[in-house]
Amino acid sequence: MGELFQETIIVSILAATVRIMTPLLFAAIGELVTQRAGIWNMGVEGTMLMGAFVAYIVVTAADTLAGAILAAMLAGAVMGLVVAFMTVTLRLDHFVTGLGLNLLAGGLTLFWFRSYIAGRPQPTFEGFGNVAIPGLSSIPYLGEILFTQRGLTYLAILAVPLVWYFLYRTKYGLEIRCLGENPKALDVKGVNVARRQYGAVIFGSVMTGLGGGFLMLGFSDRFLSEVTAGRGWLAIVAIIAGNWMPKGVLAAVLVFAFLEALATHVQVIGVEVPHQVFLALPYLASILLMMGLRVRAGQPANLGVPYRRA
Amino acid sequence: MIKVEPRLESSLAWTIGAFALAILAGFLVSGLLVAASGADVLKAFTALFQGAFGSLKAITASLVKATPLILTGLATVVAFRAQIWNIGQEGQLYAGAMAAYLGSLVLAGMPSAIQIPGIVLFGLAGGVVLGGLAAVLKTRFRVSEIISTVMLNYLVVYLLSYLLAGGPWTEIGETVSYHQSPPIPEAAHLPLLISGSKLHIGFLFAIAAAILCYLLLEKTPLGFEIRARGYNPTALRARGSNVPRTIFLVLAISGAIAALGGVSELFGVGHRLRGDYLFGLGYTGIIIGMIGGLRPGGTVLAGLFFGGLESGALYMKILSGVPSALVPAMEGIVLLFVLIAGVIARFRFVRVTADG
Repeated sequence: MGELFQETIIVSILAATVRIMTPLLFAAIGELVTQRAGIWNMGVEGTMLMGAFVAYIVVTAADTLAGAILAAMLAGAVMGLVVAFMTVTLRLDHFVTGLGLNLLAGGLTLFWFRSYIAGRPQPTFEGFGNVAIPGLSSIPYLGEILFTQRGLTYLAILAVPLVWYFLYRTKYGLEIRCLGENPKALDVKGVNVARRQYGAVIFGSVMTGLGGGFLMLGFSDRFLSEVTAGRGWLAIVAIIAGNWMPKGVLAAVLVFAFLEALATHVQVIGVEVPHQVFLALPYLASILLMMGLRVRAGQPANLGVPYRRA
Repeated sequence: MIKVEPRLESSLAWTIGAFALAILAGFLVSGLLVAASGADVLKAFTALFQGAFGSLKAITASLVKATPLILTGLATVVAFRAQIWNIGQEGQLYAGAMAAYLGSLVLAGMPSAIQIPGIVLFGLAGGVVLGGLAAVLKTRFRVSEIISTVMLNYLVVYLLSYLLAGGPWTEIGETVSYHQSPPIPEAAHLPLLISGSKLHIGFLFAIAAAILCYLLLEKTPLGFEIRARGYNPTALRARGSNVPRTIFLVLAISGAIAALGGVSELFGVGHRLRGDYLFGLGYTGIIIGMIGGLRPGGTVLAGLFFGGLESGALYMKILSGVPSALVPAMEGIVLLFVLIAGVIARFRFVRVTADG
């Protein structure tokens, strides 16, 4: 194998890593805000699926990529509203709620999808192309890896410092973090706990819907009912493995994305291992990460505990 | 004036009433879905119920569909009652089918009377291994069972995919290889309950499992610990109960029951190992167990009902054009209403007079 050939493959794997990271990062960084507000939204997988599905419907029916992405975010908002209603207002168990939502999303998307394509071939679409950043994209190696990506990928990367700034440098961010640790302290101060938690859940779900929309429009040309393939769960693992810190979450997401990128290159790498082994790597890695990284110091003390006055 | 206040004790009649309302609401919303898709709602639902329960033949077909759902539902009950969130029924069902298939290869050629019990034991062992693994990850490595069981589901599916697509269990045709195993010899098929129908003894396994689950939960020390964990895990630890042992037993039992669903589908219905007809049975079982109120009896009823609808869905599709995926959508919708009803059932309405 020539040296030049190897270099091309490495650059290609790293560029794929950044692209594959995008939907995971949207979901994980959004859900991080939700969790810091004390809500364990376990419905990430279903919300992502709903976002992907709605994006598919809009892009094939109305032929607008921007409209499709907005619709995916709106779908996320609706899912978030349901989760917030059930966990904050009804104080249902967070886990059971999220699980129920995932199962609901699986059933609904399958039904709508079959109704949508009934009696005709499945419509396809042309998704996002790359947006090269002038100047930066001509840097050797880095240009191709970081600066020749889909437009939304830049937004996802930018979201990490933005969410960090919001959580650690603004008054609202402080309140959100406080909700996860000691909601009573805020309540006593006269801050509306429920309203903040609704906001945090809906923000996380909009980001997750956006991730789902990108998953559809950035990688594929048609909808499949198993399109999310556990990515919503990987986003949750990334938060835990990242110890509830934005940069930790980014690192964990990178690991998953790199492993998935490896799997897409397995034929070019030419290793004599069944390709299912590579496909299974992110899931295996998530168990190993959880076994190895046992620091849970960053876990909000009140995460998953429904807040009751008195 | 009417005031809402929490109930001190749950009332069975009120709970059943709330559940009935939830199922009704679920049907209404599902009807709206059908109407929105442009189909005739009444025609679709009539066909759905006729296809499910309209004749003796339809009923036996429904019982066949209900069998794996009851089993994965019961697996959910045992775990969730202990507040152990095993969502690995999907993987455990696959593991059961795979281990049992391995058993059928090991025991090939033996008489059915030896082969079939042996195959069932292999299958159960597969579920115990996968459930037990999640327990060890939880108690030894503090990995949440929610995460580990989801990830194990994916890992098991990829393992099956390897075994059937190029791996040692792949059926090799004349020119192509299929993503399935060769057919299972007839000696290893589960016997039929009614000859001429498709109803096999797997259905009896499901009913027996429900009775055993009831006895386990209500009449045994382990059942007491499971229910106590459901109320207050911390108090149990303080009482000196062996928590890791309970977690292991619960997950192993739960895994074994789900695995039995896989054995029953493979040796009673599919007769060759393939991923497609096993897909989703574990996740649906979670819905069945929760709609069944996390009680064995309720789970059997929910399994029979939704198993029936899944069986009737094809008839509905032919008669009214509504996709059979309506049934999974209905299951999700009903589940959401049942969860909400669970909250309502914890409250009661009290009439308050003006003076207090």
